Amino acid sequence: MTRWLPALVAVAVFTALVVLGSMAPEHLAEPNLELGLKSWLQSPPLGTDTRGRPLLEYAMQGARVVVFPAFTAGIAVAIASVIGGLLRCVGDARVDGAVAAFGELVGALPRMVVILVVAILIPGTERSLLPLALTWAVLCSPGAMDEAAAVAERLGGARFVEALRAHGFSWNRIFLYHIVALNLRPVVVRQACETITQVTFLELALSYLSVQQNQSSFTHADDLRSWADLLKLGYPSLVIPEVGTGHALAAGLFLVGMVVLSARLGTYAARAR
Amino acid sequence: MRYWWTRPLVRLLAALGLPVAVPGIIAALIFALPGDPAEIICPPEMCAGTADLAERWNLDGGPWQFYTGWVSSALRGDFGSSWRVLQGEPVSNLLAEAVPTTVVLLLAGMLPVAIAAIAGASGRVPRRIVPAFAAFGLVPAVVLALLGAAAVELRFGADSFDVTGTRVRILVGALVLGLADGAFSDTLSGVGALFSGERKQRYVQVAQLRGERPLSNMLPNLTPALVGQLRARALQLVSGTVVVEVVLRINGVGDLLWNGTLLQDFGVVIAAATTYAVLSAVLLAVQAVVEIVVALWVRRAPAAVRLEGAA
Repeated sequence: MTRWLPALVAVAVFTALVVLGSMAPEHLAEPNLELGLKSWLQSPPLGTDTRGRPLLEYAMQGARVVVFPAFTAGIAVAIASVIGGLLRCVGDARVDGAVAAFGELVGALPRMVVILVVAILIPGTERSLLPLALTWAVLCSPGAMDEAAAVAERLGGARFVEALRAHGFSWNRIFLYHIVALNLRPVVVRQACETITQVTFLELALSYLSVQQNQSSFTHADDLRSWADLLKLGYPSLVIPEVGTGHALAAGLFLVGMVVLSARLGTYAARAR
Repeated sequence: MRYWWTRPLVRLLAALGLPVAVPGIIAALIFALPGDPAEIICPPEMCAGTADLAERWNLDGGPWQFYTGWVSSALRGDFGSSWRVLQGEPVSNLLAEAVPTTVVLLLAGMLPVAIAAIAGASGRVPRRIVPAFAAFGLVPAVVLALLGAAAVELRFGADSFDVTGTRVRILVGALVLGLADGAFSDTLSGVGALFSGERKQRYVQVAQLRGERPLSNMLPNLTPALVGQLRARALQLVSGTVVVEVVLRINGVGDLLWNGTLLQDFGVVIAAATTYAVLSAVLLAVQAVVEIVVALWVRRAPAAVRLEGAA
């Protein structure tokens, strides 16, 4: 029960974000100045922006921008992590050396710099978070592979595999069940969840930096809004509370908090016994 | 790894290769983009003479000529000129202003990390506080930087860009770097786990029984792992400077890189990215040197021991 409850909540929260994203409108509603800056109590569930458009639409479009790329990046890192662990179980010194060299080279790159260089390459008409998320996944992979390899090493590596073979287990059972499902699972799930959170933060940072300077975001088309727009809308209320956009800031932080909560609960549910 | 020197050697090679590879990749990317690179500096619909411009900016001979020309100039301290951010301004002038700011920001940002490392190593941090730090570490840099920017604007108002205001911005930026994205909490828990695991080793307990200090016994064994952890944190901080500098409006290399990226100013991007590559290479080289020194230190024979076969 102590595992299932967090797992269920994690899945429920993430599913809510997926549903939110899949129901996102193509464009924001027409402005209605009479409804401008309503709080979440006056115009549930999240209130409205300065032009009377519901913040729920911002939330939905933001979920559409971030959920699929973040999840894809998480899966990519999970796969890299599994590969790292399994390669250590093969016990080949040359393979270990090649993986270590790859890790040193890729791990030494400042991630944000690489992301920005990749961002320049994306044509303005095809802006999307997905290529940036996948680049982030590649940059995260060495750490994930290294950690999974360390777990496999503690397990016994190639000797563990030989011991299970001596018991007559099939390769599938050894690698997929005993190594991946029973032993690498906590690391793999945690790395994937951390990547999902990091990609969400990355989108938030890239979009906020762009909207702060009234420029197009690298992560989505101009007709979409991201959660960073909620933060941008709510920021003035931090300096001048009378502006009355605090509910937008709260909505943005709440949505980011949902991703973090889902990832943390997922990690907790997959922890080692 | 079969030999102890393999990893430090790979790190040293990576440290040497990074500052060379990064401008090479960017040079290749400039020419991989659709259209003539000179058109980025001056679109044909806005000005004539693109061919002359290409020759003047060394863009007329393909990526290899541009790359070798840029590297040889950079080695002499000439990083070319800005294409768009401040068109025609020497990038070396922009870097001369930005690099010291970013270095100060990074060094100040490492202070909370160093405090966390010392606290983790001492093992005296109450266990109850660690989850609180971990929860705080979940806050992303952009959110913490926003709160910091608001605090500075509230306190200084229009004066937040004078000398004192700028210093406070850098200080707040350093705090954000050192605390956000788990920099503090992960160092605390990571170093803490490293030392608490080592304290359980028998040689440490024997050393304690002999009246020796555990730290002096543990350090030679833990230094490589410790330096590895701290380098990872430092690299995280280096990466985080982009967000912090832009949100807090600190004129550093991160801010320069961001503006260059927004405006497709490859003259600025190539120089700023290479600066980051050099910073990263320095961190790698420091880690490799520490690993080599520690490895040689732990392998040396104690002074009182006479080696077999020695005169």
